Amino acid sequence: MKRKAYGRDAGLTLRMIFTGGMLGLLYVVFAVVLFQVLNVGLVPMLVIIIGLAFFQYYTSDKLALAASGAKVVERDEAPELHAMVERLCAMADLPKPRIAIVPTDVPNAFATGRNPKHAAVAVTAGLWRRLEPKEIEGVLAHELSHVANRDVLVMTVASFFAMLAGMLTRFGLYAGMWGGGGNRDNNNNVPVWLIVFVVSILTYLISWILIRTISRYREYAADRGSAIITGAPEHLMSALQKISSEMFRIPQRDLREVQAMNAFFIIPASVKHATAELFMDHPPLEKRLAALEQIAREMGRPV
Amino acid sequence: MGLRDVLFGRKKLAAPARERLFALTTAAVTLDTELGLKPAGVGAICFKPLSAGDFARAASDVEQLLDSIAAESGSKLERRDDTFGYSWVIVRDPQLEDQVTTVHAVAQGLAEQGFGEQLLAAIFKFDGGTNPVYFVYGYKRGAFWPFVPTGKDQERDNAEELELKAKLEGELPIEPDLSRWLALFDAPL
Repeated sequence: MKRKAYGRDAGLTLRMIFTGGMLGLLYVVFAVVLFQVLNVGLVPMLVIIIGLAFFQYYTSDKLALAASGAKVVERDEAPELHAMVERLCAMADLPKPRIAIVPTDVPNAFATGRNPKHAAVAVTAGLWRRLEPKEIEGVLAHELSHVANRDVLVMTVASFFAMLAGMLTRFGLYAGMWGGGGNRDNNNNVPVWLIVFVVSILTYLISWILIRTISRYREYAADRGSAIITGAPEHLMSALQKISSEMFRIPQRDLREVQAMNAFFIIPASVKHATAELFMDHPPLEKRLAALEQIAREMGRPV
Repeated sequence: MGLRDVLFGRKKLAAPARERLFALTTAAVTLDTELGLKPAGVGAICFKPLSAGDFARAASDVEQLLDSIAAESGSKLERRDDTFGYSWVIVRDPQLEDQVTTVHAVAQGLAEQGFGEQLLAAIFKFDGGTNPVYFVYGYKRGAFWPFVPTGKDQERDNAEELELKAKLEGELPIEPDLSRWLALFDAPL
């Protein structure tokens, strides 16, 4: 007997295709405009961006661990955490990642690394202390799903041209300030730097929204992955609720320290109610809980 | 793991690999003659139970399955849940072949009910060295790896494990990726 896949969310898949397609289209338009108006100077810039992207991609694990102040722990330092991750990895058919602990009391977790072989999973001391083992398992399975879904790769590819656009925007700004217009050849035409500047700024803004949308979809996918690995979505649900309510209680000072790490965390550290969902890199808690509830129902589990 | 999984996220656990459990019975001869390791008469299979719904319905079938397997093979079966929320079926039988056959039957039975993806590992114990030697079979990998706990808190004898790997590589499908050599310190056997 073949069991059906749980959480087969056709809507989510469609939205992912749509957003990915929009981003691709945007980048193509951007590239075409660049090649049309800017024949020189593009190659070195591309080289720089590709270099930057590769650097980011290859050092993502070290960067994220260093930025969060996480310390890689061996088995004898955290035997239970190691045992838990090992079993989840065996279940998810992943090699065992490095395991790190962030010495902060804010309960949270993140995963990083360009591929499963170079992955690292970090939990904060607060997460380990405040959550039940089954809830921690749900959170770890969510992070391992990010690893399995290759989210660092996906986000690097997704934000590649946004980086280029961002750089060109700055470049265009300088050209505008010091180039004195740059309209030496043809006084009737709009100066080249202005076109590049406007197109770049538009590309940057639109891609920023699209990238955040993709990021939110990846969160749903990782939640689903967690439910499948643990077979018990309700533990992740209670973990998410606990983490987000703990987040509200922590004073603002702590939050700012961890703000740079937001994209990697299971729940972003700063929770601004006023921010529209469009600009958030994580879906709102209620929507995540609703999606998990749906999976739980499919598994035949009363919530 | 295909492109689809990367683009849209995994929707299922990996199915168990082609089963190569029985290779252990031939390797056992080498273990005995070359290393003096003998089957300790106990093995086990470990799986992750799913939900109260589908799985609970299947759970009674699992009990029935275990009863019928026990009656057929003459092995003693025992079901236990561990602190990590995994279920174990412990198989006691003096003959390694019978242990393997029984474990295979349990895995088969679970897979037939649609829970093949929930199978984690099988484990077999050998005595005769300084420490007991376990052979773990990972269902996702379709391969074995040795596991030698030293008896001290959460410590494994990696040197001994690598030696076993070198000795048995010809006869036993050994997992080549060392980062997947799951430890099972609290295996209830």
